[in-house]
Amino acid sequence: MLNRKMAFINLSTASYEIAPVPEELRRSFLGGRGINMHLLSRFYSSHLDPFSPGNPLLFGAGMLTGSLSFGSRVNISARSPESDHLGDSSMGGDFGAEMVYAGFSHLLFQGRSDAPVYVFLNDNRIEFRDATHLWGLDTLQTQKQIRSELGDSRVQVACIGQAGEKRVRFASVRTGRKSAAGRTGMGAVMGSKNLKAVAVRGTQDLQVADPQGLLEYYGDAQKKLAESKWAKALGRQGTPLLFKFANAMGFLSYCNHQYTSVGEKGLALEAEALEAYSTGMLSCFGCPVHCRHRFSIEEGPYAGLSGEGPEYASIGSLGPKIGNLDLETVIHSTELCNLYGLDTISTGSYIAWAMELFQRGIIDRKITGIPLEWGDSKIVPEIVRRIAHRQGIGDVLAEGYRAADAFGGSSLDYLPSVKKFPLEMTDERLPKSFALGMATSTRGACHMRSRPSIDVLGLPEEVLRKIYGGPVSNQLSSYEGKARMVWWHELHNAVTDSLGFCRFLTVFSSPHAPQYEDFSKWIRLTAGLSLTPEELRIAGERIYTLERVMLAGDGLSREDDTLPRRYFDEPVAEGPAMGSVIDAKEFQNMLDEYYRLHAWSRQGIPTEKTLVKLGIG
Amino acid sequence: MKIKVFKELCSGCRICEMVCSLSHTGTINPERSAIRIRKDDLGNGLREPIVCRGCRKMACLEGECTEESQEAKKFTWDGKRAEKCTFGALPVFQGEAYHCDLCGGDPRCVKVCTPGALRTRHSKKRAVA
Repeated sequence: MLNRKMAFINLSTASYEIAPVPEELRRSFLGGRGINMHLLSRFYSSHLDPFSPGNPLLFGAGMLTGSLSFGSRVNISARSPESDHLGDSSMGGDFGAEMVYAGFSHLLFQGRSDAPVYVFLNDNRIEFRDATHLWGLDTLQTQKQIRSELGDSRVQVACIGQAGEKRVRFASVRTGRKSAAGRTGMGAVMGSKNLKAVAVRGTQDLQVADPQGLLEYYGDAQKKLAESKWAKALGRQGTPLLFKFANAMGFLSYCNHQYTSVGEKGLALEAEALEAYSTGMLSCFGCPVHCRHRFSIEEGPYAGLSGEGPEYASIGSLGPKIGNLDLETVIHSTELCNLYGLDTISTGSYIAWAMELFQRGIIDRKITGIPLEWGDSKIVPEIVRRIAHRQGIGDVLAEGYRAADAFGGSSLDYLPSVKKFPLEMTDERLPKSFALGMATSTRGACHMRSRPSIDVLGLPEEVLRKIYGGPVSNQLSSYEGKARMVWWHELHNAVTDSLGFCRFLTVFSSPHAPQYEDFSKWIRLTAGLSLTPEELRIAGERIYTLERVMLAGDGLSREDDTLPRRYFDEPVAEGPAMGSVIDAKEFQNMLDEYYRLHAWSRQGIPTEKTLVKLGIG
Repeated sequence: MKIKVFKELCSGCRICEMVCSLSHTGTINPERSAIRIRKDDLGNGLREPIVCRGCRKMACLEGECTEESQEAKKFTWDGKRAEKCTFGALPVFQGEAYHCDLCGGDPRCVKVCTPGALRTRHSKKRAVA
């Protein structure tokens, strides 16, 4: 299991070196996101232009990716061209497992190819192949063409579309029909390196420490999972099931956070509505849950359109956030983003920003070219197309927050963001734990770094105390103990991202889902490494703190761990969360507690003592 | 006994491929699995598990002087037999064909198939174990 190699690939010289992953590195950073962060930190500096050849682009398969576990994810990391600081995004699908079967667990790309290129990893070999003929193709055409020319339907491809080629700052990396490392612009980094795709194919045996033990352990874990209510619900409706909850509780972003619920109009976007288009549920490699919709539209303006998705994040971002309540437009726009290789969350967020600026008269048709009216379902696909091809208003929006240079100084007041990274499809004024997690996330406003989703379950406080090791209120709107909750989940998610587990199959979804005890056994049986639950928790702290060290090098500290002005100044105007607002003093108290738990300074900077203790001093 | 496939229920997770190779060879390698998921993941989304159908008349052994009931219990076969299987249900890797031995009567792939695409059916067609 642990004999998978890392490859240092120089695209400028079309050369590479292959090295084993030291066991000590595995023990400290596990794999996936953890080892990515270790490697990234060696090159990271505030002077590093994300589009420069020196920006390292990392692919990291989880430690247990490709084996019998709960997910087979791969993290893609670099310095982000969208936020100008830490970039990191995780994707599912079959790519990660195939990369492991090809003999590799980590790839580090540097340099820039003179001409478009793709790299083929095939059973311990690395090949540089011309991609001139692929430049300009969308992500689906690219994958089909590469499979065709390599003559093997089991080749998996991670690639960019037109958006990545044109360095749209929130371009994604895509694999399969829908899987994406969507956030933080990793596709733009690929584009800047002239790297159109990474193709993988492998037939290498994956040695398992205790085959019989793993088969038995996995069988039990899978049975428990399959019998759980939440896995059944995810397997039937996928993440779109979350839309109904978010809408009913009033934490949806509607018209760029001017409202937080669409009320009964939300019926049109709920999972039940999507089911009418669903032609089956699919899994990522090695996942027993199958939460991915395959869809087909039979009638109307989009008749003939088929694909996978959309996920809740895309429904929210290309739906209510931009005032759009037409499900077919959401499906179509999501599919366009997938084909062009655009992050659906950022795409929706920047469109929403421009729409509010248009609403307020801060920008007009002179710059937008087309009227940007809320919910105008006809213009959404057109804006997506213009962004991907950097045409007109699309070229402005493709710059992300830098579009403020064109929109004018006050425009940034209407881009709800954290650390120059836009807020997502949800509004966190009601759930304080989610709000703090947005503020402290190491990749800018992001729900995946901590997202203590189980906070919405209102579990008994004794159950919460047992999980989190301290008092935590079970009231969603309470601030009490929420710093502890966020800190705990940040560590936990850093570990699951490093193992390759999917969020949905861990405590993200349920307190009964796998936690450190389970991971410890899983690692021993699969990789033969003995790591106690406590050692894993410390590895989570090490990974998260190292990310924080990189941010500190960018000059980011406590004052950047904050939320958009609207969250503090504007109580939710109507709907189920009416009156919800973030109290500035309570928020600062949460931050104090949060830094104390991480053992960082009051300014949010990891202390020398903490770094030494974690072995990253 | 035989494995009955309900392909419309398959989610394409390939856990069966991992479990089959691990339980028979001690390593995980989908290439060493007797069951394969054929997918058109970039196209129409087809997922189709392909595994030995347990034919009564074993065309795969035609022309050989072997005891069918004994061969049916074996997992690793000579790769040449694959050519005789009209269903393409004998995957070949490095010259060897992998034949479903039904795990001796309690197929592991069926146990881990959460969508229920693989089921066992007791059949008089071929007796195993």
